[in-house]
Amino acid sequence: MHGTYVGEQPTDFQAATAAAAAAARERESNSNEPDEWSLSECGFADNDVQRAIRGGSAAEDITQYPIHGWVDVTQEFHDACAELLPGELAQDMLFGLFEAMSAIEIMDPKMDVGMGFDKFDLPPPSFEAAVAMGAIKLDGLEPAELIGIFDALFACLVSWLEGNSMDQVLFTCLYLHAPSQIQDKPLRCFCIAVRNLIVVIKNIIILAAVNEEEDFQLYGNSALLGAEKAQPSTIAGLLKDVEDELVRKCKQLPEAAENQCLMAVVHRLRFMRHLFQAIYQVELMVGASSAEEAVNEIYKNLNVASELLPLIKRTIDRGTQPVEGSEAPNPMGFSPRIHDRSQPPTFPRSIKIRERPASYQFLEEMVARFKYACKVIRYKDYYSALNFFIEYSRKSGHCILSRSVLQSLFSSSIRLAHGKQSMKQFLRHSVMVFNSPPVLNPKHPVSSDPKVVQHLETFFRYCINMNTFNQFIRLCGFNRARQRDKLAHLIENFDPLQVDAARLDSLMNQLANERAMEGNESHATALKHSTYFSTWVLYNCFRAMLIYLMSGFELELYAVHEFLYIYWYPYEFLVGFLVSALTRTENLLLAQEEYAEHQSRIQSNSGGGGSGSKNRKAAKPKKNKKQQRPYRQEIVYYRALLSLCGGMYKAMGALTKDGRVRLPMSKFDNEEIRYNRRFSPFVPLTSPPPVSYAEFRNIRDHMMQNSAEDLYSYAAKYFDQARNVLESIQNPEQEILDLLQIARTNFVVMNVLGRGHQKEVKRQPEFDFSKHSYFPIIKIK
Amino acid sequence: MGDGPDPALALRRELPPEITYTVFNSESELKTIRALIEMSLSEPYSIYTYRYFVYNWPELCIFARHGERYVGVIVSKMEQKSSYARHGYIAMLAVEPGYRLLRIGTKLVEKTIEAMLLEHVDEIALETELSNKAALRLYESLGFIREKRMLRFYMNGVDALGLRLILSSNAKLQ
Repeated sequence: MHGTYVGEQPTDFQAATAAAAAAARERESNSNEPDEWSLSECGFADNDVQRAIRGGSAAEDITQYPIHGWVDVTQEFHDACAELLPGELAQDMLFGLFEAMSAIEIMDPKMDVGMGFDKFDLPPPSFEAAVAMGAIKLDGLEPAELIGIFDALFACLVSWLEGNSMDQVLFTCLYLHAPSQIQDKPLRCFCIAVRNLIVVIKNIIILAAVNEEEDFQLYGNSALLGAEKAQPSTIAGLLKDVEDELVRKCKQLPEAAENQCLMAVVHRLRFMRHLFQAIYQVELMVGASSAEEAVNEIYKNLNVASELLPLIKRTIDRGTQPVEGSEAPNPMGFSPRIHDRSQPPTFPRSIKIRERPASYQFLEEMVARFKYACKVIRYKDYYSALNFFIEYSRKSGHCILSRSVLQSLFSSSIRLAHGKQSMKQFLRHSVMVFNSPPVLNPKHPVSSDPKVVQHLETFFRYCINMNTFNQFIRLCGFNRARQRDKLAHLIENFDPLQVDAARLDSLMNQLANERAMEGNESHATALKHSTYFSTWVLYNCFRAMLIYLMSGFELELYAVHEFLYIYWYPYEFLVGFLVSALTRTENLLLAQEEYAEHQSRIQSNSGGGGSGSKNRKAAKPKKNKKQQRPYRQEIVYYRALLSLCGGMYKAMGALTKDGRVRLPMSKFDNEEIRYNRRFSPFVPLTSPPPVSYAEFRNIRDHMMQNSAEDLYSYAAKYFDQARNVLESIQNPEQEILDLLQIARTNFVVMNVLGRGHQKEVKRQPEFDFSKHSYFPIIKIK
Repeated sequence: MGDGPDPALALRRELPPEITYTVFNSESELKTIRALIEMSLSEPYSIYTYRYFVYNWPELCIFARHGERYVGVIVSKMEQKSSYARHGYIAMLAVEPGYRLLRIGTKLVEKTIEAMLLEHVDEIALETELSNKAALRLYESLGFIREKRMLRFYMNGVDALGLRLILSSNAKLQ
């Protein structure tokens, strides 16, 4: 019932061993130097042992007594054993569950990697051995052999990105162990490219730091990687040369079939070149002078790469294919078990290298994800960037490299990483874009008021120190399961920010009153700005809360009998809060707009204008009004969500009342404890105030006084409402269409159940979340 | 747990066999535990893992027996996590296929919870495969909640769910 993650070596243990060996050699060469101090200072070794250790060359013969201080304890051991029952273990304090689970039974093939070798127990061939045996060719490879190796290497790359150890996938390819010794130029260049690609990908993932042990294994054979120096900047040139050579060769070939085979090799080299360039440029973006230009370059490479993929997929069968039943992804060049013995000391994990068509499918989708990630460059403020990250995570959440690439592109794009724009500027700009508080407008005279400057400075510095906003965006880069855990902590961090934002808002209003007393109307109006900052903070907090709660459906964390209170909270509170925060923001923007219009009218009246200018002004506000409803779409979306949550809440009430929901046995179950646990991340918040279980129970009990028929019809009404809202959306995206289908179907199901369908069979319906991760289609079997 | 229409099984359901419950008391039972667990789990456990549990917490290693025959087993442990919190952990649970759907698993878990309650355990945790619907239903009927999804938790690459039953308000919120 339980397992453990394979413990990662904290540092590369082979490297560590190599270092230790080197240190030992070092010591040996200086052996005439006395180093008695180290032993005597240890203080624990007795004289015999000390003498034994100092014994030098005699240390080879360990059977000699008493040089080594061996003491026979056989009798004592047997005596001690006699005190134990058969099977009883003498357990050391430090031998815990982890050690017990990592311990292996020697000779058991399921645990002992050594048992995986063939019956002669020959070590798997190394590069040198394979060359000596003639098992791998270093020169004059046929196009089919090249295609086979290239395709197998792409499959290994994909399997590495899916979380396997690079030693057990990529470095089972012997060619990657010593690319410089390969004489065949296309193969050599391709292998050098793969080697460099590994380094570049590793760097991107390490820098983005959104990986977890279950996503990606960073550690692997650094000794192999380090053997030949990485020179990523030369790769494109190398590959281009080979491609050109092969294309020339191709033109001289009379046979069309041979020609096509060679072109299939060229396409793979070219795909590698563009993929490599795109990924390498992502790594370089941190230092790029213009993010836009760099992204354009990346995008161009990705386009070429994606155009080549269909050609490559069509020619997979032209390469040598893996032998049926063999673990090697290609007949030549791979030694699948070569690193089995150097793996961390736990049970062997089953390694499945993806099949070739599936690997190219993965690469095709990955290239598409990278292209999509490039769009992040358009989003320069917090609101739109966060939206993009949330959306991206939903679509690309499973691929570690795609997630890491997005992080790199974004931090380069907003220039936070290397200080060209400070986080403070970014947040200031973001609030400005979100609800445009007049005090943030640099043109406004009030913005230079020293008190205003000081308060704003304090607030933004606080936001940065808390790191909450930044964290929210970064968090979207983690895998979906980890995101939920991290969100729980993030939500807590919003509380001090809310308090500070509310304080800032009230300070601004206080200043406004002071200025009004002084008779400075325009300053007073600018400062009297109600709740700009707290609305901004709250809105983001509400979003984190909603994502947290609803992600439980996606991760399948809620039992059916829990759906009722989970849907109740967003229906009763959360979604409504989001709608009102956005509506308030739009009203603030509108009020500003009207004020500005009013001001300009006063100005133009005082300046006196002709009829022509009047006409222009009449047209302008109209245009602005349209612009000042930037949240309309989102508000409509949340209205639909509100009705769907209401529908689900009432539906769960109806189904429970109708006896169609399996409830836990009351012996150990405690609904209050479950409720408190589910909403525990919201408890530290001042706003919105936590809703107690008693409060929930009152409201539910009140609802449950209705008959099941009535409850079904209420639920139907909500689903119908949701349908109306969703149908009002013009040019709906796929998500909206999916929600629409859910609303329509559930509306029908509620009506059917309300009419007493299957009244006798009290079976729990099926809740099918395949259309949308937040809402199921309710299905009666 | 999707057994075919086994007549013996149908009969057993009609005439439920008398099941007795005993705790671990001798080394000879270790083999039985291993056989029962390996019947239903994908992952191998070393003998040290079994010994770690049953010799440290023999009272939490409970068998279901039909006469002399061992038909089910549950293996758990308990630990003092801090001065105010005691945690229980259910490591393994298995019921022989021919004896499933007789609530033997539920009974074994109940007995474990009761034994832990005597020791004032605050909460009980366990992990199970996401796809193991029978286990999920069993634990949820006892009030466990699925707290955490763990991607690629098992060696075969399958996701796990972390389940938890909170028994007292001492249980620290994570």
